[in-house]
Amino acid sequence: MIVVLLLLHGLLAVALLGAITHQALSVLPLAPAQARRSFVGRFRSVNGPAYATPIVVLFVVTAIGGALLYPQYRIDVRPALEDMQNAAANGVFEIKEHLIAIGLGLLPAYWLLWQQPDNAQGPGAASTARRALTWLLALFVWWGFIIGHVLNNIRGMLP
Amino acid sequence: MTHPGMKIFSMLFGVFYIAAFYFDLALFRYYPEARQFHWARTDGIGVVILWYGWIVTAALASAAVAVAVPRPFAERLSPRWVWIVTTLVVVATLIYERRWFV
Repeated sequence: MIVVLLLLHGLLAVALLGAITHQALSVLPLAPAQARRSFVGRFRSVNGPAYATPIVVLFVVTAIGGALLYPQYRIDVRPALEDMQNAAANGVFEIKEHLIAIGLGLLPAYWLLWQQPDNAQGPGAASTARRALTWLLALFVWWGFIIGHVLNNIRGMLP
Repeated sequence: MTHPGMKIFSMLFGVFYIAAFYFDLALFRYYPEARQFHWARTDGIGVVILWYGWIVTAALASAAVAVAVPRPFAERLSPRWVWIVTTLVVVATLIYERRWFV
């Protein structure tokens, strides 16, 4: 059961990572002439607002999956890391749990800002905040994804 | 559905979460080996998970403030404060968590 949940958590994380990366690049201030020619230009030319609600749902569901897996980590993995005297591995995981929690709290404002038209809160304030929150969430998701995979495979990665 | 208090909630959630973490203010504790939730510290039943309690503490505290703040004030609040405060919270968190790497 725990393996199925771990795989499901990983697959949802992949979907979330793809969606948030598309959206984060879509708010990059690049010249329109570049937009359609390069790979990055095509990658970022998505409808950003359409991604907001799926990203909120994916973030919440993936975080719930992580929360359900957490007891197994706390009982089996963390003590093993402590036995290996690998404090850094526990440290990066602790940062992951903080960032995901803080990301959960950001979701209401993130979603709200993606529902508002540009300049609704004054010149540029809403679009700047929307871009910053999207990038913060992207950072949190990338950190969580990479650290999750490193810790999942850590016994095979260390000598 | 788009209450301006959502900005207040998001702006304060990280602050309350880190305060709950730093000052050990988890609303409840989960003991995975015993599969039990407890309001207070309970010794002798294995390792403890505080993360769930910190999140619920932060959610309740920030929701209470978001509801209490008058709507006109919440509407006037610039959305830039959400990402500025959150970025500061993240930086403070990373500085504190350096303890794992020294």
